[in-house]
Amino acid sequence: MKINGVAIDDTFAEAFTMRVARIVITGRNMKWAREAALKLTGFATSVIGCKCEAGIEREVAPAETPDGRPGLSVLFLTMDKESLPQQLVVRLGQTVLTCPTTACFDGLPDVPDRLTVGKALRVFGDGFQASKVIGGKRYWRIPVMEGEFLIEETFGMQKGVGGGNFLILADEADHALEAAEAAVDAMTNQPGVILPFPGGVVRSGSKVGSKRYKSMIATTNDAFDPTLRAVTASQVPDGVNSVLEIVLDGTDGPSIEAAMRVGIRAACRTGVRAISAGNYGGKLGPHHFHLRKILA
Amino acid sequence: MSDTIVLSLTQAPDYPLVADAIVPDRFATLTAKDIATLPVKHGGRTARVGEFFKVTGERSVSVRLEGGLEKVEGIGTGMACGDLLIDGSTGRDLGVAMAGGRIDVRGSAGDNAGGARPGAASGMTGGEIIVRGTVGDGVGASMRRGLLVVLGEAGRGSGRGMIAGTVVLFGAVGGGAGRFLKRGSIVALGKVERPATFGYACTYRPPHVALLLRYLRARAGVPVTDRHLAGRYERYSGDFAELGKGEILQWVEE
Repeated sequence: MKINGVAIDDTFAEAFTMRVARIVITGRNMKWAREAALKLTGFATSVIGCKCEAGIEREVAPAETPDGRPGLSVLFLTMDKESLPQQLVVRLGQTVLTCPTTACFDGLPDVPDRLTVGKALRVFGDGFQASKVIGGKRYWRIPVMEGEFLIEETFGMQKGVGGGNFLILADEADHALEAAEAAVDAMTNQPGVILPFPGGVVRSGSKVGSKRYKSMIATTNDAFDPTLRAVTASQVPDGVNSVLEIVLDGTDGPSIEAAMRVGIRAACRTGVRAISAGNYGGKLGPHHFHLRKILA
Repeated sequence: MSDTIVLSLTQAPDYPLVADAIVPDRFATLTAKDIATLPVKHGGRTARVGEFFKVTGERSVSVRLEGGLEKVEGIGTGMACGDLLIDGSTGRDLGVAMAGGRIDVRGSAGDNAGGARPGAASGMTGGEIIVRGTVGDGVGASMRRGLLVVLGEAGRGSGRGMIAGTVVLFGAVGGGAGRFLKRGSIVALGKVERPATFGYACTYRPPHVALLLRYLRARAGVPVTDRHLAGRYERYSGDFAELGKGEILQWVEE
């Protein structure tokens, strides 16, 4: 299969089941909503080192937000049920609570599994906090020096998908980056999907474990490192001198597939030789995204 | 089963008619005939709903009342769920001790709407009441939870002794609002006479008020203006003669 002359490898991306929450952050204007969202999702690229993965899903228009202000929705993922509320309490408390004008709402209101994140954060109010039930939902009003921070008492948690990916194999680094940027642009604001890495792009794809260091749980994906073509079991085709990876997390498989479809199509451009994907032979992750099937 | 049970007043009561049996959740399993035989008190005499109302529909928690109900008292007493639309005005004790569901009064209501039963410590403990006209004295008295909205003027002692919950008053409010309030919020969009035992805190934009008003506008068509949504509110804490954890939020008209 080829798209715009770019070969699509007959392979699949292997992804994992994670736990996901959707947070809607509003602010006096988009600037302050974004400031909070960026801090909240900072250092949340991979569970390998950050314990969570997070990113901005999309901008939310004032007409869509509970308080009628501009907002952003953020997806937040962890590997297990227990760590999601822990991470949310710590991060929301240090980033959104601290950010001027913001308020925080649940973006998965129909999900039965509830995390009492707002309830945990209320104690910052030191007994001066108060709750309000509006439309059947409880909100906490936490007094702060600016005025009040408003946060919903509970947030929905559901199963999500982490680790969807594709690889852009290009003739040179500039072309790989241009293709990756085009893919990210195309996938921005896709519902139910985030790209947790810087600018949505990963240059350091990893493999499980290490060939040399026992303590390392992940090390460089030497099979796709062009500089190691001559010294390892390389999968870098001839004429390829740079590889970038796009990692996608999402609320469900179809959302990941839809984003991969538009992202890969956008990445098939000048200088790109092939699109591939990272997997572990299908033995580790239950979600397999076959490139050719997605693009058919 | 009907979409809505309609009770149309056919015989105007000569005396106060205590109709605390008219509660939507109570109608969920009843036929029209069963509803018509529910007891009411007319001038102290036991009577039946059917002597005053024509009942249409059955087995529903959505109820509409029609007719001049100014002398009908205690509608929605202890209501726990369902929707009650009163297409006119009603007498005192509307929704006393209400625990859930929604009451929408297209006209006015008498004293003690959303309040407590005689001798009881708590008024309504949940649900929502919207009165689009005026209310008498003691609206939301001893309220523990829930939401009570009055679009017209409110009498004296609104929210007196509130334990928690929210009262939103769009019109002018009589004296003694919030007296002996422990917790809870009175949001006053009109003029309100505050007890001296409340203390000024600050003037700000409370985020939950905007959220609440938007909810009321979207769900019930309450005529909230953008000035109410974006406006600033003076916060008065009180009642310091009590616990002092409540508040009166007075809209600052700018």
